[in-house]
Amino acid sequence: MGQALRLATELVAGVAVGGFIGWALDQLFGTAPFLMVAFLFLGGAAGIMNVVRTAKAMQGEPMPGHHLRNATDDDED
Amino acid sequence: MIGAAYAAEDVGHGDGHGGGGTGLPDPMHQFEIRRLIDLDAFGFDASFTNSALFMVIAAALITLFTVLAMRKGALVPGRLQSVAELSYEFVANMVRDNVGTAGMKYFPFIFTLFMFVLALNMLGMVPYSFTVTSHIIVTFALAAFIFIGVTIIGFWKHGIGFLKFFVPSGVPFIMLPLLVVIEVISYLTRPVSLSVRLFANMMAGHTMLKVFGSFVVALGLLGGWAALAFMVAFTGLELLVAFLQAYVFAILTCIYLNDALHMH
Repeated sequence: MGQALRLATELVAGVAVGGFIGWALDQLFGTAPFLMVAFLFLGGAAGIMNVVRTAKAMQGEPMPGHHLRNATDDDED
Repeated sequence: MIGAAYAAEDVGHGDGHGGGGTGLPDPMHQFEIRRLIDLDAFGFDASFTNSALFMVIAAALITLFTVLAMRKGALVPGRLQSVAELSYEFVANMVRDNVGTAGMKYFPFIFTLFMFVLALNMLGMVPYSFTVTSHIIVTFALAAFIFIGVTIIGFWKHGIGFLKFFVPSGVPFIMLPLLVVIEVISYLTRPVSLSVRLFANMMAGHTMLKVFGSFVVALGLLGGWAALAFMVAFTGLELLVAFLQAYVFAILTCIYLNDALHMH
């Protein structure tokens, strides 16, 4: 349940934030509703990108507690 | 949904039995904010609410726990000291694994954040208590604070070069303007998804507990046992979710911090 909810929130958050930015820019420039429509799509794209990234991270993600074992071999900067 | 719940609250105010005439208790009643001490700060309503009370209790409990546990500082730790050291090790390893040794500078913040969210989630599991993290404004304030802080750290470490974080590599030049906008929106969704995840999990879980709890009463001595058995199992699951969400909140903060410090 946790993972599915996580992916769902990523997608919805993308669309919501995109829509909000578009709406705010519309208020600023008085171009309603065109920027909001454009940014809704861009937000959807950002949301899908987030979902793909999260899903990729999930596949490689160890279970909670795994971190306790290999604490030292991770300095990749 | 929340608006409807608050509307129902007005009908059955104070007694917790609104429920829209079904006879069942209102499952949203537990999320009601009550003013305990009325305060007015420069025209803003800054009243001391039950939400604030539980935050104070959580902060006091954590302080009491760590101070009491480490008071002796024995070489061979006792029971309480073991728990304190375990929680330190847990968060320290989380920071080291996800941010690297450079992130240990921010360990006190991550530790405080993890313990605070964990204490609030766990306090919410106590009957008749109030779950502070089931209010989105609280989780969003935490997430927004983290988001702004991490962005400042990014610009502080890399200067204007932090903007390169928003430019994906290996992309045709024509596509760049579009992709940069998408990347920026993707970055801005971080506080939203971070806060919504914690809030949704806590609120959904506690509503479900209340709904099934009212089933126990409604089905009575004959049928209530099935719902009661489910409640026992579900309470265990909720304890797991309370811990897991605190863990996820802390680990995502680590990941965002890592992005700011190392930029992939």
